Amino acid sequence: MSKLEKIEFTAENLARYKEYLTRYDDIESALLPTLHLAQEQFGWLPDHIVKYLAELMGIPEIHIKEVISFYDMLYDTPVGRNIVHVCTNITCSMFGGREIYQGLLKHYETDFLTPTRDGRISIQKMECLGACEIAPCMRLNNDFLGNVDLQTAIHKIDELP
Amino acid sequence: MKDSANYKDYALLSYHHIPGVHNLEIFERAGGYETMKACFDKDPEAIKEEVKQSGLRGRGGAGFSTGVKWGFFTKDRSAIKYLLCNADESEPGTFKDRYLVEKNPHILIEGMIISAWALGTQKGYIYIRGEFYHQAMILEKAIKEAYANGYLGKNILGKGFDFDLYVHRGAGAYICGEETGMISSLEGKKGQPKLKPPFPAIKGYRGLPTMVNNVESLAAIPWIMKFGANAYKQWGTEKSPGTKLFSISGDVNKPGVIEVPLSTTLKEIIEVHCGGVRNGNKLKAVIPGGSSAPIFNAEDSLIVKMDYEDVAAKGSMLGSGAIIVLDETRNMGEVLKWTLEFYHHESCGQCTPCREGTGWMEKILKRKEIGVAKKSDIELLDKTAASMRGQTICALADAAAMPTQGMIKVFRNELEQYVTTVAKK
Amino acid sequence: MTEKVKFKWNGKEIEADKGSNLLKAALDNGIEVAHYCYHAGLSVAGVCRMCMVEQDGVPRPFPACNASCGEGIVVRNDTPKIKSSIEATLSFHLLNHPLDCPVCDQAGECGLQDYYMKHGQYDSQMVDKKVHKDKVQDIGRNVMLDAERCILCSRCTRFTEEVTKTHELGILNRGDHAEITVNEKLKNNYAQNLVDICPVGALTSKDFRFKQRVWFLEEVQTTCIGCETGCSVKVSENKNGAFRVKPSYDHEVNGHWMCDDGRNIYKHVSGALRLFGAQENLNGLFVPVDEFKTHQLAKGKTLKFILSTGLTNQEYEKFFEKIKGKSAQVALYVLPNQGEDFDGLLTRGDKNPNLRGARKAFEDAGYDSSQNALDKLLSSVSSNDAIFVVVPEIIYNEDHFNTLISKVEKAGLKIALTHGETLSTLRAFDFLLPIPTFVEKNGDIINFQNKKRALRSGISYGETSKDVSYYAGWVNL
Repeated sequence: MSKLEKIEFTAENLARYKEYLTRYDDIESALLPTLHLAQEQFGWLPDHIVKYLAELMGIPEIHIKEVISFYDMLYDTPVGRNIVHVCTNITCSMFGGREIYQGLLKHYETDFLTPTRDGRISIQKMECLGACEIAPCMRLNNDFLGNVDLQTAIHKIDELP
Repeated sequence: MKDSANYKDYALLSYHHIPGVHNLEIFERAGGYETMKACFDKDPEAIKEEVKQSGLRGRGGAGFSTGVKWGFFTKDRSAIKYLLCNADESEPGTFKDRYLVEKNPHILIEGMIISAWALGTQKGYIYIRGEFYHQAMILEKAIKEAYANGYLGKNILGKGFDFDLYVHRGAGAYICGEETGMISSLEGKKGQPKLKPPFPAIKGYRGLPTMVNNVESLAAIPWIMKFGANAYKQWGTEKSPGTKLFSISGDVNKPGVIEVPLSTTLKEIIEVHCGGVRNGNKLKAVIPGGSSAPIFNAEDSLIVKMDYEDVAAKGSMLGSGAIIVLDETRNMGEVLKWTLEFYHHESCGQCTPCREGTGWMEKILKRKEIGVAKKSDIELLDKTAASMRGQTICALADAAAMPTQGMIKVFRNELEQYVTTVAKK
Repeated sequence: MTEKVKFKWNGKEIEADKGSNLLKAALDNGIEVAHYCYHAGLSVAGVCRMCMVEQDGVPRPFPACNASCGEGIVVRNDTPKIKSSIEATLSFHLLNHPLDCPVCDQAGECGLQDYYMKHGQYDSQMVDKKVHKDKVQDIGRNVMLDAERCILCSRCTRFTEEVTKTHELGILNRGDHAEITVNEKLKNNYAQNLVDICPVGALTSKDFRFKQRVWFLEEVQTTCIGCETGCSVKVSENKNGAFRVKPSYDHEVNGHWMCDDGRNIYKHVSGALRLFGAQENLNGLFVPVDEFKTHQLAKGKTLKFILSTGLTNQEYEKFFEKIKGKSAQVALYVLPNQGEDFDGLLTRGDKNPNLRGARKAFEDAGYDSSQNALDKLLSSVSSNDAIFVVVPEIIYNEDHFNTLISKVEKAGLKIALTHGETLSTLRAFDFLLPIPTFVEKNGDIINFQNKKRALRSGISYGETSKDVSYYAGWVNL
């Protein structure tokens, strides 16, 4: 994103943000949904987005940074357009989840969460994704993918935009 | 052996066989929301009493009586208070709530409306883990339908009762499944558990009375209110009545979610409902209640009855009902390593014994990687785990320590071998 | 009146307010309880887990900091169970701590060091790699952060959240990767309190860093003269000088804190500028002289005194006693307001430490302390006058004071009563005569609330045997 671009929610997202505010009895509670929304629009949450949100919501910047740093699905470093979650918890590891994770890093010549050179994907090792019956499982953006092997995973990832 | 998983006869998955039951119309046609309507004519206190009588125990893991917990809640109906549904479901091995709500979101919503009426809460949130995006959307859609039918919002069905319900997505943190961590997270903070006392029922979300219940507990309410506490108690034992969802994964032929009466044997669950151990392999061990639960060896696994008491009597816990089956090919050192990496990654970092202990346990187990491992490390690991227990604000430290000590108790020799064996490259 | 309760801690009976903090009650009663995160001036975090206790009839141990005093409760932290859990928790604190005490400024007053000497069994079971974090970071306002030494007690983040509400600090990440982080450099005027409340050497003062080992210092309990608030403070000093000022708990005035401006009030106390005796101005250069010479020159002149607002009640009293019935003119120089009237916490724009005491002493002695009286005195200055100006110890607005100096120019003899040659404009005076600083005299001052607070003397760094009343003795010689 170029620096000249104005940092603010699109009109549609601003409306969604305002709708979030109606759900809660205080503005702070709307932070997590707002961060999801911001990440959806901006891709990740660098300092200048934090600043924008801090001003928008009247929440201290450091507080927002703390929150972002706390959750695995909020990113304070650049990530690819698509996020690939690979589960490496017990059941998935029993069925090769870790090998898939390592295999994907190798195949895409990248590292944990580091975007591939084309900026298309970031691969994130995750704790239990809550889909152990289809171990080893992954998430491609918001979609679960189960009973995968490395080849299927690569095939599916390559279909991502 | 009789197949006891005839879902239609049970409480939670009784609608699951109906195609499209996630649509309100189909759910209603099958009898959904009838109980809710009937409950509005009941005294809230009577509903609380019925739930208490049913013996329903919190299905998130702790197993505390839902009715008793409700009893701690203020009876002042005009006081601002909240109902919070715990759909964070992040205990490794657990996926029952996901299975429940993605097929049948309305059973949860119906349960929450009844609970809200009983508890007098004006607002409710379903805190669902961030990874369950589609499930959150399913719930959002179902909530919209319920609003459209006048089951949510102002003056529900003309009964003068207001209840708003929203979905709140987490963003990837195990600790938000702990009820006060969840409250912190909902408040827009890091999901760090809060000191107790005060308990959430007294001072919870935004410092106001908050009732936090698991998806499965709330989804059981409509059935209990429809058929009564006594009917619910036909299943299970006196202390562990009712049915329970179990998430079974690992080395079985048919992993998945089942609903069976509490106290069903683990043997039946594995052999009958899950088609036995995969490839005809020999059973080695079972983690009976999520990754926090101490592991059973094959022998205990084959005799244990899956109720709160019997699992505890054999040294583990029923927890969330997440059963991970391990066959003879599995290396227990690796299983413990995966477990410890998880808790290290998920410790919220506030209490020192947990913040430092979870990381250290992982390092001790992995000492061979830096060439300093010795057999006695297992003893140190055991001691470290023991010193983390009962020392922290929430149970995460215990959740890391228990399976560690459990694993050492059952598989000490294998672990001693594991820590000192350097893998061939 | 608050209801009192009696309870037992390790068998010792303690009386405390019902419902008050259990840990605080124990600490207030002289019981040593290891604790890092609890601080009476902040909210309860309950995260260090060092103050765990057992209570009769309560199944599980709990932290005393999150419990309250109740009638008849029996708590212990000396049972084998608690003792071993405290030892274990202490070793968890040390796991990722660098143990670089020999180069740490906190050594000697470090919570970790204190307790591990007492409980510790640091037996090098820790062969594993420690988590590395940022070591030397200048986080602004003279505060240095060493994240590796940090034990994440969260006192500092609670301080910037709850006390200053400036939100510069936070704890990022989870688990053992959690780290104190600055969003922006510290911008509040209370930042040095962070150094005080840090129980380890993670936050140190750049000003104090590496200057002195704390065990070579003595503390003087006194009152800050930086503004009219009058915070209770401790000045740390030894024969080489004063080295720092720290707040001292004062329930009525400053609670646990003080502002950073106040931290600097010690700087003039020692050093090259101090006077060790009378000095005479020889063409712009002050050189030692026998005080007798000044004395002689003053003879026969009309003596006029301009007092400062930084003297003690006792100094004013003695001064007026000395000139009682004699013909001396006296007026009061009041420091102008500086900055905002009140910052909402402690700092006040009125920089006069004892204006109320001064006014009362003037009034009691039948003198006028008003600006009018000062103006009148100044307008009548002539070559027949010997004028004594008491130089305020701390001058924020030098121009304002210099204006005063310019107005006494016509006096035949100009004498500054001062602790040192603090301003270049003092060269307008013919003589400098020594008076003590605030840490070299005993007496009281009266703060903005009309509360009396004490100044206490410690070590002398200059000529301190003579105060304003001594010079008042020169009247009518």
